[in-house]
Amino acid sequence: MGMSYRRYLAGARVYGCSNCRTHLATIHSMVSRAFNGQHGRAYLFDDVVNVIEGEPSDRQMTTGNHTVRDIYCCKCGVILGWKYDKAYDPQQKYKEGKFILERSLLVDVQ
Amino acid sequence: MRVPESDQASTFSVSPDALPQAGPSHLKTNGHAVNGGSNGFKSPIAPNGVSKRSKTPLSRVSLPGTALYDDSSIDREEYVRLVIQSLRDVGYTESAATLEAESGYVMETPEVAEFRQCILEGEWADAEVALLRLGVSEEDGFWEAKFLISQQKYLEYLEVGHTTSALQVLRNELAPMHLDPEQLHPLSSLVMSTDAADLRHRAGWDGAHGSSRRRLLVNLQSYIPSSLMIPPRRFSTLLDQARLHQLSQCLYHNASATSSHFSLYSDHRCDRDMFPRTTTTILEVHTDEVWAIEWSHNGRWLASASKDKSVIIWSIETDPPAISQKLTLRDHEYSVGCLAWSLDDTILLSSSEQCVKMWNTQTGICIRTIEAHADTVSALAWVPDGSGFISGSQDCKITLWGPDGKQRDSWGLTAIRIIDLAVTPDFTRLVAVGESVAGTSPTPLARGDAATPPVSTGRSGAATVSNSSGAHGEHQMVVYNLSTKQQELSIALEGQLTSVKISEDSQYALVNHAPDEIHLWDITTGRMARKYTGQRQGRHIIRSCFGGVDGNFVVSGSEDGNVYVWHRDRGVLLEVLSGHGSGSVNSVAWNPRNKQMFASCSDDCTIRLWEATASAPHGLASSSRAADRTLAEQEQEHEQGGKGKGKSREPWDDGAAVRRGSRSTSS
Repeated sequence: MGMSYRRYLAGARVYGCSNCRTHLATIHSMVSRAFNGQHGRAYLFDDVVNVIEGEPSDRQMTTGNHTVRDIYCCKCGVILGWKYDKAYDPQQKYKEGKFILERSLLVDVQ
Repeated sequence: MRVPESDQASTFSVSPDALPQAGPSHLKTNGHAVNGGSNGFKSPIAPNGVSKRSKTPLSRVSLPGTALYDDSSIDREEYVRLVIQSLRDVGYTESAATLEAESGYVMETPEVAEFRQCILEGEWADAEVALLRLGVSEEDGFWEAKFLISQQKYLEYLEVGHTTSALQVLRNELAPMHLDPEQLHPLSSLVMSTDAADLRHRAGWDGAHGSSRRRLLVNLQSYIPSSLMIPPRRFSTLLDQARLHQLSQCLYHNASATSSHFSLYSDHRCDRDMFPRTTTTILEVHTDEVWAIEWSHNGRWLASASKDKSVIIWSIETDPPAISQKLTLRDHEYSVGCLAWSLDDTILLSSSEQCVKMWNTQTGICIRTIEAHADTVSALAWVPDGSGFISGSQDCKITLWGPDGKQRDSWGLTAIRIIDLAVTPDFTRLVAVGESVAGTSPTPLARGDAATPPVSTGRSGAATVSNSSGAHGEHQMVVYNLSTKQQELSIALEGQLTSVKISEDSQYALVNHAPDEIHLWDITTGRMARKYTGQRQGRHIIRSCFGGVDGNFVVSGSEDGNVYVWHRDRGVLLEVLSGHGSGSVNSVAWNPRNKQMFASCSDDCTIRLWEATASAPHGLASSSRAADRTLAEQEQEHEQGGKGKGKSREPWDDGAAVRRGSRSTSS
């Protein structure tokens, strides 16, 4: 809805979309490297920019049932990972509102 | 009612036919050889001759008091003397004389008339004597006045080639007044003029037979009390002031100066129904959000840019009304965000991500694709002399291109990621707005990490924005000198700046500022002149524009789906126009030729044309009166709601940091 320009990040390390180099997240907002996605290793971030969120769906993951949304690059539309809306297991609540980006789909842009 | 005769003709036609006993009439030819305003009046004895020569002498009417009416503050004598002056100016000499006799007031004393005559006829020696007789003393600036007279005398001698006499004036009259050498040198150098024409050109003076004597008289006016010698065309000057005042009070004023009929019989007021506030056409062809619209300079075509990756050129004829889709420009790989028509409307520029495309507006053929920018091109503007165009990009670069699309110049890396830019119509400055580049500074990042989680994209409905504008860090408006490319001014602002337009006089920049504000900046002083509020703007690129006759209005889109219209100078919100569907109204554009029409475009995939409902010059009196009332209330509210009465009328400081010639820091 509405027109907006992509955001640009600054910091020691900026991760971008491997397809179009759109800025996505910085190393400062990284929470964990110990995640796995569909293409192998994945990172958990507090904040991710320039992504479009898909519809929520429940998925059974290794750590239990979660409500998640796929996230797409806002420029090229590639699926980059997902966002946690809700974790059913109280142990996993810390993930809510955070984002997964798959390492193989990222590129260092700065 | 006027007899349809020229003044000159009436002057001569009256004399021979006039009855012998109509005494003053013969004075007409004497006194008014030239009817060029009150300064042309030459008869010093007119007032005296009147009653003596009239067949039935008019008796003076004696009235009580000094006011024109019992309860008026207007002085009767002043009023009558102005009437006499204007009667004389147009040639109603007898009426003027009659009025003088009946009222007992004379337009001016014989001394003033004599002085005027001396100046207009170039009797310089007598003029100085007459000036003294008017009681102009040394404290009143007698010497300054005498200097002006001597200067005229000097120039006139030079003009007719009497160099010796001119030099005498220079030596004996001008030089002894011990003036600044800066004042005297240019005068003395005029002796070197080759001929009269050269003299007139170099002195910026139009000669003894031009208007120079009358101009001298106007300049001398300041040394003589105006009650003694009434300034020329005084009545008309006052009426002009009344007219200007009424225009400034007319909130919906949108009539051109020529067509605007101004009657002395009633106060001027434009009808609200004559204002373009009704949707007359909805253009529904785009299949996604429409982000930008631009009128061609001839006002007949409207270009629209959409998220659907296309640009449409619409043909919009008003006489007779005919609207059609002229061309559809595809081949954009991504959504289209910016448009710019060349000065002759033959080329349309569009930008889609880092690409700029040049289109032939007759054939719809893409002439050239420019892919020199590394990031989204966010602004396009043709240079006012037609020598090319300027692009601004999120890659922080501003580039000047020739009309053929070849790069001609570059600003290099700027301090901001450009969001919009505009060139002043006088071709002296470029104003850019954008987000300051954070560089390696970790500050904005830390802020983003710790306190305010950055909004993902604004596209997801789930993202709630608490501090939508501040989240991006600092923004700036930068003013560059167009020829040197040097930064003249930089103003740091907290909110996102999404649009910039320049006023016709090149003096002001209209800038959309999130959240919810539009600023009018004086780009010479770097001060904020006005602030317009009411519209909603948080996350999106919302654009505004000036509009109407003399750019009297400010119009903007809004995220609440309405179009907002303000009175530019008074800052009053005039209209909130609804009609667009859900989503933002992204951009607005006023027709540059038909000032009674503007367009808006929205996320609802449509473009709306707005025009006046009333075609008759007189709308319903009752409804317009009701409108006036609500407006008056609205304005009152506005003033009370503001931070102080009268504030919106004065240029005021917003506390924003301003630095000339250097980057500024946030306030």
